Amino acid sequence: MTAAPSNQLAGMTVRTAPEPVVVDELITETADRLFGELCTHEAVQAAEDIGGAPEIWQAFCETGFDLIAVPEEAGGSGGTLAEAIEVLRLVGYHSAPIPAAENGILGGWLLAEAGLERPDGLVTVVPPRASEGGWSGGGTCSVSLNGDGTAVLSGEAHRVPWARSAEAIVCVCECNGTSMVVSVPASECTITPLPNMAGEPRDTVSFDGATGQAAPAPTGVDAGALAQRGALSRVALMAGAIEKMCQLTVSYTNERVQFGRPVARFQAVQQHLVWAAQDAALVRMAAEVAAREATRGDAPFEVAAAKLIANQAAARATKACHQAHGAMGMTQEYPLHHFSRRLWSWRKEYGSDAHWSAVLGEMATGVGADGLYPLITSGTAPWPEPQPARTAVHRGDSRSGNAGRATKRFGRGALGDP
Amino acid sequence: MRFTPTELTGPELDLQAEVREFLASELPPGTHEPCLGMAADHDRQFSAKMAARGWVGMALPSRWGGSDRTAVQRFIVVEEMLRWGAPVGHHWVADRQTGNVILKFGTDEQRERFLPPICRGELGFSIGMSEPDSGSDLASVSTRAERADDGWVVNGTKIWTSNAHMNDWFICLLRTAPMEDGNKHAGLSQFLIDLRSPGLEISPIPFLDGSHHFNEVTFHDVFVPDINVVGQPGMGWHQNTTEMAYERGGPDRWLSPFSTVEQLLREASGTPMEDAVSDLFGELAARWWGIRNLSLSVARLIDEGEAPSVESALVKEMGTRYEQEVVEKLVQLIDEEYSPESESLFERLLAQCVVTFPGNTIRGGTIEILRSVASKGLQGLPT
Repeated sequence: MTAAPSNQLAGMTVRTAPEPVVVDELITETADRLFGELCTHEAVQAAEDIGGAPEIWQAFCETGFDLIAVPEEAGGSGGTLAEAIEVLRLVGYHSAPIPAAENGILGGWLLAEAGLERPDGLVTVVPPRASEGGWSGGGTCSVSLNGDGTAVLSGEAHRVPWARSAEAIVCVCECNGTSMVVSVPASECTITPLPNMAGEPRDTVSFDGATGQAAPAPTGVDAGALAQRGALSRVALMAGAIEKMCQLTVSYTNERVQFGRPVARFQAVQQHLVWAAQDAALVRMAAEVAAREATRGDAPFEVAAAKLIANQAAARATKACHQAHGAMGMTQEYPLHHFSRRLWSWRKEYGSDAHWSAVLGEMATGVGADGLYPLITSGTAPWPEPQPARTAVHRGDSRSGNAGRATKRFGRGALGDP
Repeated sequence: MRFTPTELTGPELDLQAEVREFLASELPPGTHEPCLGMAADHDRQFSAKMAARGWVGMALPSRWGGSDRTAVQRFIVVEEMLRWGAPVGHHWVADRQTGNVILKFGTDEQRERFLPPICRGELGFSIGMSEPDSGSDLASVSTRAERADDGWVVNGTKIWTSNAHMNDWFICLLRTAPMEDGNKHAGLSQFLIDLRSPGLEISPIPFLDGSHHFNEVTFHDVFVPDINVVGQPGMGWHQNTTEMAYERGGPDRWLSPFSTVEQLLREASGTPMEDAVSDLFGELAARWWGIRNLSLSVARLIDEGEAPSVESALVKEMGTRYEQEVVEKLVQLIDEEYSPESESLFERLLAQCVVTFPGNTIRGGTIEILRSVASKGLQGLPT
């Protein structure tokens, strides 16, 4: 035995944990209040009928949340990815019918990384498509470059969120073996409206030779990275939606009386409540831990695990909550469907259960039997190496490089002081 | 209810590394038959080795032989032991709950008498809750302790008593006053009983696979001295409920099939793997990651002075069902006809999981009872 008994090591740190990732409470409060006021049942329903909610989007932009986690030097609001993910969780919680993920942490990120100009107005992103061996950025579209540095896009992109309201459409395309970020004005494209199951715009875009700007994507920014970021955005939205759906279900089953008592008193109904609450807790935990790790650096295991967990939980929780609501949950008049239909849609966006299981399966079998539990506890991050104890006072390591807090200009906006 | 995400600190990562090194040296992979979670072999020597590291009763105060460690530090040791399939059976109950009960409700004399040997990994405890006519409705227990000179005389029967034939002591919930109408929780008390007391009879109840785990323990005028009453006579229900909170939400409720899954991966390495099998490893890793984060946050809440009984019930209900789901998924994918005596270790473990895991959602409070506790919490009612 060479190792010293653990009680002799107490107080003598040889490993350092990464810097904590903290989300400013003001962000949670502000977003919750904003959406709580604006995203009424009627407003969300109306957005579905007209394919958008310009007033809600306007108010959202006035807080600066539309460009949260986009660096200020690139015209964004600053803040961390974890903070942007917290805003998205509240978008999901209130079923806010706005393209918050597309404009900010996806589109804003791609443009800033590639050093491309961001137009005034909404930016959306072509979701990459999973195919054998990885992700292709622009679906069937391809890019060619003109001598003057402009780019020409051809082909068709499917299920592009809110394309009909966008000013610019951004995608990641391979060109001569290089990953390019391409941005074209939506006015150059032919856009065919299509809704998802929740009535959110997921349009078809024909580029037909649309001309725009292009720049090589820096290392680490490619279709696969976009897929991960997109998956994380969906996990955050789903975490919020499942939590709200559970709260609706607890309230409803406490009010609905049958056989002389609230139906929540029946064990058979309690089972639905408990199972849905577990899934809500599980997905919120997954979203927060994956966001924490993705804020520090690459987190391929955590993001993939979170999306798979969220997809599976969405299936179970929507079933449990609908069953507990009975026929009322099947009506348009009662708001359960704002959440359940979004969950069924988001489950399929940025990677199905099968896709992420396969990705995770490669990681798990790749690390082998001895690496399986370390993968579960620490992801793919290198196992922290012991350091001489005297250096232990210096907190943080290379993984915490971008976890620092940027100054932010969002927060109160049109809402005034809380 | 809120599960706040948490992560291990530097010193906690050191502890994790130290436990992993200890296990790799004591039980090198491939050289021992892993146990299935907390239903682990009883190995007094192994318990003593862990105790020498300060890993048994570690959250108890050093004044009583413990290591002043936290719930999270105990979580780290326990999860590594269980995922490794280590033989932690001998000290398991004392470490998880009985030590805490004696610390919280016992006298200084009892703490002096029991806690240091618990922390040395010496004392094995059995739990005396269920009776032939009292299971989920625990308050209906009828084994009686009647007043005698300097003590109590016990008559009645406890059942499903795990490992009474191997353990040293028995912490029992007994009726010390007749059941009152409308207040069945009154009149119950907790006792520490020597399993070798005269008049105490231990009879095996063979497990469905023929193994010896369960016992029936019958008391024939067993004398228990006053100094072995835990806490206040009549307060047993409250003390027992507190005790059960220590039982729930930890890694023992979701890691039982891990060594089986790990062994499958070990045996499958080097040969081409079907996509469905590879995908399953991915899915299981993801779900263990999610549940572990919830369970870890419960341990952190305990260290912050919270009493997360609803959170613990939710994790235990989910974790034990997940354990069964893992086994079902393996069964669906594996072509071999496994048996408890297969040549392959994985197949032996899987056969054991299939046969014994129906008990995982029953032991320590059925999932039906847990749902009742959790849903009251969700509705803001007293649990």
